[in-house]
Amino acid sequence: MSIDKSAILERLNPADSFTLAMDEEIRRDGLAGSLACYGLELANIPDIDALQQRIDEFGRRFPVARASLSQIGKRFYWCKRSDPPDLFFQHHCPTGADEAEFRHATLDRIMNEKQPRESVAPLEFHLLTGPSENVFLMRWLHPFCDARGADLIIKYLCTADAEQRQRFGHPETSPLVFEQLRKYRWWQKISLLLKGKRYIDRLDRLSSIQPLRHEQPPQRLEFAVRRLSEEQTERIVKLARQQVGLTGTSLYYIGCLMRALEKWRPDSPGEAYCVPYAFNLRKQRALSPVNGNHLSALFAQAPREVVKDRQKLFEHLKQQNAQVIRQQEDYAFLPLMWAGSWLSLAEYGKVLRLSYGSGRERSSFWFSDIGRLDLPADSFPGAEITDVFHACQVTSPPSLAFLNCIFRNRLTLSYNYIEPIADAEAIDALHRLMLAELLGETD
Amino acid sequence: MKKKLRDFIFQELVFVAEPNQFGDDDDLLEAGLDSMGIMRLIMYIENEFGVTLPDTEIEPDNVQSFNALERWILRHKNA
Repeated sequence: MSIDKSAILERLNPADSFTLAMDEEIRRDGLAGSLACYGLELANIPDIDALQQRIDEFGRRFPVARASLSQIGKRFYWCKRSDPPDLFFQHHCPTGADEAEFRHATLDRIMNEKQPRESVAPLEFHLLTGPSENVFLMRWLHPFCDARGADLIIKYLCTADAEQRQRFGHPETSPLVFEQLRKYRWWQKISLLLKGKRYIDRLDRLSSIQPLRHEQPPQRLEFAVRRLSEEQTERIVKLARQQVGLTGTSLYYIGCLMRALEKWRPDSPGEAYCVPYAFNLRKQRALSPVNGNHLSALFAQAPREVVKDRQKLFEHLKQQNAQVIRQQEDYAFLPLMWAGSWLSLAEYGKVLRLSYGSGRERSSFWFSDIGRLDLPADSFPGAEITDVFHACQVTSPPSLAFLNCIFRNRLTLSYNYIEPIADAEAIDALHRLMLAELLGETD
Repeated sequence: MKKKLRDFIFQELVFVAEPNQFGDDDDLLEAGLDSMGIMRLIMYIENEFGVTLPDTEIEPDNVQSFNALERWILRHKNA
């Protein structure tokens, strides 16, 4: 198929290609692709005109938001569409309908609808309104942006001052993966690449524990959101500081979930829990770049015997993390992503997911610590933000992705799971164990 | 020393609209220095200034500001 090259807006960078390979893997597992969402629960119906105006403005400033993915040769590009999709959709709960069911069905459609990669919109905003619940949802396809970019887009919409909104996306830079790689000479890049390969080889010496039993084919993503009280959150933040220190907050959540899973399914096959997590290459508080993925990946791995001992586990994760950063193995993933972007999606997906030795899934679960959100509750046009939630699709296996963030001093946990491999009852049981771990109420 | 710390933090870790306006006692944690950033900063300090900063001393009091960082480094450099 010939493609008009003048339609090209942007080439996917290596980190975008990394997420695109995962999109392909999720689709191969029979699911909707690498879709993610950021939801805001609102106290009332917002100022729809103001919202529409800011969304339109965003679409004009960042045209990739309405582009389509096209493959030219081995590469993927964001291309202009002849008929760009709408960005904003409104859904109103019909009179007399059950509001919770309406919300669930609408979210299900948004997150689980299967559309070809070339036609799915990179970004959509949805407003769900009803007599007592109002939710504003941003749904994106992962090659379009990463979680930090999603946060920037929500902040853009929550910025009333037009001049302040102009600051988003400035200064313009080339993708940060390239910026970071540019700091190394060619031989240093090769050395980093080998370092990355050895890092993965080391992880693959232990087979990864799969806590969920994959006896049935995956059907759809479901997610359960749990919010903790301010008191619980304060206690957890303090415990995290004590256990893993200032430098490893995310490791506290990872370690707690490893332990909860071990208690939940102690007979799961495998030798160690292995958890990939991304870290962002943007400077903290930077307003640019907005779209695109600017990240690298790390793994937390802990053998089963270590997971059983809480103190030992956190010490192990902390040491492992320090070692990886000391050895620059975190940046070693960058040349690997660059090299991987030249592979076919199917080949790349295999490399990313499967252990070299066993050929089995490397990840025990997916994890993302979104951190403390600095989004003022009164910043959304015409409505107070009462709560937030996140969700994301995940490959199957591992069929489980855990996301956490803190908003208004309350920790929000999001368990994303694939049905029928896990169900609401199982996730409830897992959450009870996780909560006990987070609160340090275990031995 | 502070100039090097400022350059590293503002070029690599934290975005501040006007770095010159950021004082040596201003709060780096408030400005967005996060756990991963602190880790990178410590690796940078160890390489650049030839000191080893003990894990047990990684606490807000030591990383909160440029002045605090300088005091922490000097304590170990002179030890």
